[in-house]
Amino acid sequence: MEGKIIVITSGKGGVGKTTATASIGAALALEGKKVAVVDMDIGLRNLDVVMGLENRIVFNIVDAVNGKCQTQQAAIKDRKIDNLFLIPASQSDNKNVITPAAMKKYCVLLRKEFDFVLLDCPAGIEQGFENSVIGADQAIVICTPEVSSVRDADRVIGLLYAKSVQPKLLVNRIVPEMVERGDMLSHEDVVDVLSIDLIGLVPMDESVIVSTNTGAHLIQNKKSKAGQAFRRVALRLNGNADLPIEVPQAKKGFWKKIGFGLGRNK
Amino acid sequence: MIEGWFKKLFGKERSKESAKKRLKLALVYDKLEVSDELISKLQQDIVDVISKYFIVDKEAIKLDIKRSDNFSSLTLNTPILSARRSQSA
Repeated sequence: MEGKIIVITSGKGGVGKTTATASIGAALALEGKKVAVVDMDIGLRNLDVVMGLENRIVFNIVDAVNGKCQTQQAAIKDRKIDNLFLIPASQSDNKNVITPAAMKKYCVLLRKEFDFVLLDCPAGIEQGFENSVIGADQAIVICTPEVSSVRDADRVIGLLYAKSVQPKLLVNRIVPEMVERGDMLSHEDVVDVLSIDLIGLVPMDESVIVSTNTGAHLIQNKKSKAGQAFRRVALRLNGNADLPIEVPQAKKGFWKKIGFGLGRNK
Repeated sequence: MIEGWFKKLFGKERSKESAKKRLKLALVYDKLEVSDELISKLQQDIVDVISKYFIVDKEAIKLDIKRSDNFSSLTLNTPILSARRSQSA
């Protein structure tokens, strides 16, 4: 069977693409799939440090695409999770050393080698974006509930449709307390503006930074709400499409317990 | 409904309401934006069609896209020098 290639993109930078790629990839591997996560941000690689694999890099995606090494040589095995591999970006090149045509060809090889390939797309809509999208079967668009991020997501969704890649939306860094008091766009607001199907809702979570500090897997922290939300996204990708989407909830305070907050969910 | 309560309680709109409104407007405007290349192609096509019937001053033609809150419009201004005889006959 051929593997699936999923591009993780956003337009805007700093919304959590790399964290999402690492976490969803790790969760899919824990489900028993053979997974490659690929850092497409050539010149500004980061997926390697987030996964704690930065000192094992020998070859990179540029070498693999341009035929200077085999995929097996470029794919670094994860320290903790079997079946999980990282293909890092090159740090010295510029994004244009890979062409969309070469990347499209390489995606055919990747599909044969892995069950799931997650491409961590760079910010922006230039060639790095083109390279990441060209061979993808589907896309996960990440946005945070902020106007700048939602606007960029809208632009990227338009570009993905134009390239016949089906996008689904992941709303990241939701702060339920702010949503509740009306100071943050809710996921319904975002979906209403973007008219696109959801694949997951992820709350703001300090443990994302903590796990990145040490290069540990967020999803292996069972207490991390963001980690568990990413894990459910992976389950949805892995054939469990109907798994209900949980809305991040605020901690219930005294006033809400006695009923002051009744009717707010409407 | 909740927004209504907030307005009554605090006499002002919560910030997410203005976020949503601004966002929706921005997206509408973004989609209306067209490139200079497209505009000049459009102008050329229109001039070609008009030239079948009228002799116009091609240098003086002006094509504009105007946007307001409620609608967008395309305006073309051209001085007509004369009608083409072959067409009116």
